[in-house]
Amino acid sequence: MKMFDHHIHMTSRTTDDYQAMADAGIVAIIEPAFWVGQPRTHVGAFEDYFLSLVGWERFRSKQFGIHHFCTIGLNPKEANNPDVADGVMELLPIYLEKESCVGVGEIGFDDQTAVETKHFEAQMQLAIDYELPVLIHTPHRDKKAGTERTIDLVKASGIDPGRVLIDHNNEETLAATLDSGCWAGHSIYPNTKMDEGRMATLVQQYGTERITINSAADWGVSDPLKVPKTVAAMREAGIAESDIETVVWHNPIAFFGQSGRLDLGADGGRPRVDQSELWEGNSVLRGQEAVVEPAE
Amino acid sequence: MTECFAEILWARVDGPAKKWLERVWPGAGGRDAAPSSVQFRAAFAGCARRLRDLPLQAGDVRMLSDAGVIVGADWQLDNVARTALLLRALSLLPGEEQAAFVRQVYLRGDFREQAAVLQSLSFLPRPEQFLELAIDACRTNVLDVFEAIACENAYPAAMFPEAAFNPMVLKAIFLAVLVGRITDLGNRATPELKRMVVAFASERRAAGRAVPDDVDLIVNLDAA
Repeated sequence: MKMFDHHIHMTSRTTDDYQAMADAGIVAIIEPAFWVGQPRTHVGAFEDYFLSLVGWERFRSKQFGIHHFCTIGLNPKEANNPDVADGVMELLPIYLEKESCVGVGEIGFDDQTAVETKHFEAQMQLAIDYELPVLIHTPHRDKKAGTERTIDLVKASGIDPGRVLIDHNNEETLAATLDSGCWAGHSIYPNTKMDEGRMATLVQQYGTERITINSAADWGVSDPLKVPKTVAAMREAGIAESDIETVVWHNPIAFFGQSGRLDLGADGGRPRVDQSELWEGNSVLRGQEAVVEPAE
Repeated sequence: MTECFAEILWARVDGPAKKWLERVWPGAGGRDAAPSSVQFRAAFAGCARRLRDLPLQAGDVRMLSDAGVIVGADWQLDNVARTALLLRALSLLPGEEQAAFVRQVYLRGDFREQAAVLQSLSFLPRPEQFLELAIDACRTNVLDVFEAIACENAYPAAMFPEAAFNPMVLKAIFLAVLVGRITDLGNRATPELKRMVVAFASERRAAGRAVPDDVDLIVNLDAA
């Protein structure tokens, strides 16, 4: 089964990870811009980070037959740092133009401060201006209230909620996220956030519409194979193959395909491309000719 | 001759792409002010998505070849646009700021942008001012970027000193880039280059590894 891990920080991972991911069936990933474990002290450090997301990391990924895309944004944690926040906001228009940037993100709340709110709102407007979908991080602390505030801010921004994916959901937040019309991401983690068995239960309970999973693997204790491991758990729970495929392949494509930039048609060791497929009535195409390769 | 880049660009854009280009064209708004680095780099980045799929016409390819593009048929409209944007921006900048400006565009571009900068160098004013950038570009680990400077590009043979040209040729052999793609290689096939290539072949044989055919090709070249 083809799998898409739409949230993984590969900059922090090794080539062994890339190889294991490719072997496990992951053919496409999205690397959201986030913080790097310790606070950056100047804007230039962000610029080099963004450059690696559209450049070197993409190249590295391709070496293992994995399509690499990114989302670009000022993360909520460092939105609180006055030494960098405004300067990073000024850079965003450059990186939101890049070909492999398929969204604004990850943005949202960390400590839910006033300055986080300001930059969150400004970046929702950038998403509207650049016609890009948005990947939203939800806080680890005071998560339920933070998710509700997030939903309120999304509504107030005027963006189509179908272009917003709220990530790191759990049993306490999923219903509210789906009710808002937004997409609901789940980060499957070794100890925190969400695990494989609980995720299978949520799919049985809520179905597959607008539901996605990812590993959110980064520089901490995390596992870049959580998507394939969750596929195994969903199989074990008796969930239909087509439903599993919806969650780990068709859904992330339908969501990030709204950027018009999710080009999965490169060469070598990748899935057959059939852009004429529709999901929930959505095509990944925006006016281009559909690429349909012959079936094997 | 260098006007042809802008000429082709404006003839091919239409609809939303044209509106976008009018907005980001350096000096737009009648002030003829040099663009800020951020403004320019956003425009430069946007070329690929917004323009690449607009086709060039046969006459365009001829114009590019006449202007000195080695293989005009390899260029797409975003390459043409990026060269045109660089030419326009440099025309608004004082001479002493041009090299630093282009260097920032190169350093902060993605691979396709970096390749476009390198392919443009021969057409920019006083191309010798970009020598350091071009030599540094040969150190890239990314094949597409290396090929953009080393292959089908008149710049290295015209500008590189031997101490930079020869390592570029050796690196091409290492990377299995066909040296036949290096423009005017025949003019630069010096005894020193041949010595380096022969030494490389000997090292390969000693290691029990295959020697690329391109080694013989260089050894048999007659320097002009």
